[in-house]
Amino acid sequence: MAHPSQLGFQDAASPVMEELLHFHDHALMIVFLISTLVLYIIVAMVTTKLTNKFILDSQEIEIIWTLLPAIILILIALPSLRILYLMDEINDPHLTIKAMGHQWYWSYEYTDYEDLGFDSYMIPTQDLTPGQFRLLETDHRMVIPVESPIRVLVSAEDVLHSWAVPSLGVKMDAVPGRLNQTAFITSRPGVFYGQCSEICGANHSFMPIVVEAVPLEHFENWSFIMLQDA
Amino acid sequence: MSLAKPMMRGLLAKRLRFHLPIAFGLAFVAAVAFKYTVTEPRKRAYADFYKQYDAVKEFNAMREAGVFQSVRPSGE
Repeated sequence: MAHPSQLGFQDAASPVMEELLHFHDHALMIVFLISTLVLYIIVAMVTTKLTNKFILDSQEIEIIWTLLPAIILILIALPSLRILYLMDEINDPHLTIKAMGHQWYWSYEYTDYEDLGFDSYMIPTQDLTPGQFRLLETDHRMVIPVESPIRVLVSAEDVLHSWAVPSLGVKMDAVPGRLNQTAFITSRPGVFYGQCSEICGANHSFMPIVVEAVPLEHFENWSFIMLQDA
Repeated sequence: MSLAKPMMRGLLAKRLRFHLPIAFGLAFVAAVAFKYTVTEPRKRAYADFYKQYDAVKEFNAMREAGVFQSVRPSGE
């Protein structure tokens, strides 16, 4: 989850998010390169009274300031496209979960084998126990087996929502009448938080997402217990 | 005795010839500095983390700390 005074991304918990982190570092390096160059030139230009009002053209500089940006754009585009296609790989998921957005909660359906479904409401601040996170905890978490490819089908029952978990590098719009698909693998066990990412009314900020990644045997025990309680 | 003729032309060009290489050099240094102080340490940190990572041990530690909702600590 995010922490106070955080500047960068949350720690990656999936291979795709790690790739996105490294790509962001690469793009930011290029941003600093260009910004340093431009800032130095601006300072050099405003600290002189020297001008040249008579220059008409210069083929050499035109070639340089066309080729250099083109090269920089290619250096950004190549890793970007690599990750784009990596995210689109056919991934043969072990489990498919439907995440449905409502005003103002998420519901999850595990219908691969049995009919398991439950709602996931935010825990109100006054009901939190010590150690729980304000505006992030839910009464029922989306439990998944760790290190298994998971497919999430995202949709909505009323207005637009968006299912997002930053540490997994996942965000997918929930559109009524449409089924959007996303997939991820968790690299390690843990609890990963997200929040609704499309404005959906008064309680848009109060419908978080919690993904809990546990070893397969515990996932199976949990789903057995959930089916019994249903 | 006559004074040397002052140089009155090409002053901006001279300034640019001095400052532009410094500008490009500084930009390149900034990029290299960012690469070796942020990018490479981050890649190494992730690689090192997962090299020694014991998922079972970490899971059990989190379980005993009561982090999970689906799996209670072994005492409960």
